[in-house]
Amino acid sequence: MRALVTGANGFLGRHVVAALRMRGIEIRALVRPAVSLDALDWPPSVEVFRADLRTSRELESAFEGVDVLVHLAAVVSGGEDAQFAGTVVGTERLLNAMARGNCRRVILCSSFSVYDFSSVSRTLNEDSPIHAVPDVYARDGYTISKWWQERVTRQISQQRGWDLTVLRPGFIWGRDHGYLSALGQQFGRHHLVIGPLTRIPMTHVENCADVFALAVTDPRACGKTLNVVDGPGERIWTYLTDYMRGNGQRGWRIPIPYWLAIWTVRSAFVTVFRRATKVPTILIPRRLESRLKPLRFESRRLREVLGWKPPLTYDECLSRTYEPISLHTETRTVGSSVSS
Amino acid sequence: MKAALIGAGQIARQHLACLKSLPDAKLVGICDLSPAAAESAAERFGVPAWFVNHREMMEKVRPDVVHVTTPPTSHFRLAMDALEAGAHVIVEKPATPTLEELELLAGQAKKAGLHLIEDYNYQFNNATQRILQLVNSGEFGPVVHVEVFIALNILGPDGFADPNSPHPALGLTGGAIADFLPHLASLAHLFVGPHRTAKSVWSKREPSILPYDEFRGVVDGERGTAVLGFSSNAQPDAFWLRVYGERMQATANLFETRLTFDGPRNVPKPLRPFFSGLDEAKAIRRAALSTLLRKFKGPGAYEGLWEFLARTYRAFAAGTVLPITATEVIEVNRMSDALKPREPAS
Repeated sequence: MRALVTGANGFLGRHVVAALRMRGIEIRALVRPAVSLDALDWPPSVEVFRADLRTSRELESAFEGVDVLVHLAAVVSGGEDAQFAGTVVGTERLLNAMARGNCRRVILCSSFSVYDFSSVSRTLNEDSPIHAVPDVYARDGYTISKWWQERVTRQISQQRGWDLTVLRPGFIWGRDHGYLSALGQQFGRHHLVIGPLTRIPMTHVENCADVFALAVTDPRACGKTLNVVDGPGERIWTYLTDYMRGNGQRGWRIPIPYWLAIWTVRSAFVTVFRRATKVPTILIPRRLESRLKPLRFESRRLREVLGWKPPLTYDECLSRTYEPISLHTETRTVGSSVSS
Repeated sequence: MKAALIGAGQIARQHLACLKSLPDAKLVGICDLSPAAAESAAERFGVPAWFVNHREMMEKVRPDVVHVTTPPTSHFRLAMDALEAGAHVIVEKPATPTLEELELLAGQAKKAGLHLIEDYNYQFNNATQRILQLVNSGEFGPVVHVEVFIALNILGPDGFADPNSPHPALGLTGGAIADFLPHLASLAHLFVGPHRTAKSVWSKREPSILPYDEFRGVVDGERGTAVLGFSSNAQPDAFWLRVYGERMQATANLFETRLTFDGPRNVPKPLRPFFSGLDEAKAIRRAALSTLLRKFKGPGAYEGLWEFLARTYRAFAAGTVLPITATEVIEVNRMSDALKPREPAS
């Protein structure tokens, strides 16, 4: 089996490539033309295909001999329009190129950000409502792009009769990516911790990559939408403590109850800011909710459908994220324990 | 007036948001090569129909005005099609990559009794308009000289200098800086009129995929002189407009709301700098606050685009003279053309 992996050199992508290799999947890694791959140390068996989803004309040939597309690429920086062009228009172009070949299977990396946190109470799972039109357009550029990317992928997959699996990871963390926007607001060394006991919907990058590799090989994933979190998640206070310890940071942590934060932000929004959308994310009620609303997060469907259990425990993830690791350990890849 | 847009990218959002607020405009269609871009813009701004083919859009929705907001290299063909379909055209700057194409479009517009309007939005920013009011009232005195200088870092990997995906503006003579030339030339034209002679220097200070990252131009206009400049290396980002009159001088940063004046003052001459300084400090403090507040809401530095479109649609409705005339578009483009580099970049 051969997989085309977009965004293969990204934070998640490089771990997905490793996880797929461990399962014996041949890989064609789609990376941007000017990206340096020196640090990745990929063996010659990983075939590199250089293209930019926004403009390259040769995307069709990327699918030659490919059985499954693992679509991870997304633009996560820059303005809203740059993110839309890179993530959504890029996806359209990629899938239209795929339609001219024989590949019929897509694994899409979506995001928790597609959920409408404001409408969810208690537990967020795959049945929770996603954003609706036109409310989605009041969200941040990343949310709009990921929501549209999923919409476009579903639309084209349905038209073409492809097997689609949509995986929606929560906050992905790992080495050099320990800080999560769910941690509240950082001021220099100090942290405003909003809702310190709230649990974070999180997945360590190696656990997350393992789910993607499993979805590629397991036909039970076809047609499914699955949230990817390692479990109920750590509490913000606990994770922030581990993050600061792991990075040797010293600073104040100022806890604020979530209800007080959301009440203050809502009051400011209807009075001072008068529904302005250009203020920082944390001052917009719906955006604050999508980062910090205290909910329960489940990985039940992932367990039920694929029998997946995270191969790494939280403590193992911590050590792989923050402890100095030998080259041997760093390149070692984890595999999941799967029950059928 | 029924309005339609071709191109649903970044600048289109400003056009759409503004058009939605105008009583004289009714959005009827939007077109983009990307169905998702077209449909999302239609959903967001309540546009009743979206298309991926501009000819189909013009046939189906029969717009009175077509806004061309695609990358500049596609403007000529799209604007020509819109004119041939009987619509006025508001085209984003630069209207066309070459003066010859602009003249062809202008000829077609004239023949069909239609308007071809290029967006010179910074002419309509509050600061520019306040200076212009003083000039027109005579208080400023005749304009002697104008300086227009943009300092903007366009060398970052996410924009014009994206190494992965060549920016369409790199295909223009002068590269990415040519994308800003109409802003510079239109402001010079506003204050000193069409050029008689123009000279320019184009250079490259840092290695990048841009053909040039620095530009300076000197213009001898019919009513005064102008110095124009663009720097990709000077920081921080700013858009300076300085107008020198026979009685007053004005300085504005069009990326912000800063605007200061200096002029005759009824105090003993030795005290003039003191009182001028106090006045300037007061104006800058006020501008600091208003620049901050406008970040929360409204079009920000695009305030001029909103004003330009509002005036244009009012003029369409009333049948009066448009805020940007066909003559001005031709003269600004001639000035831009005269400033472009004649030699290929080394």
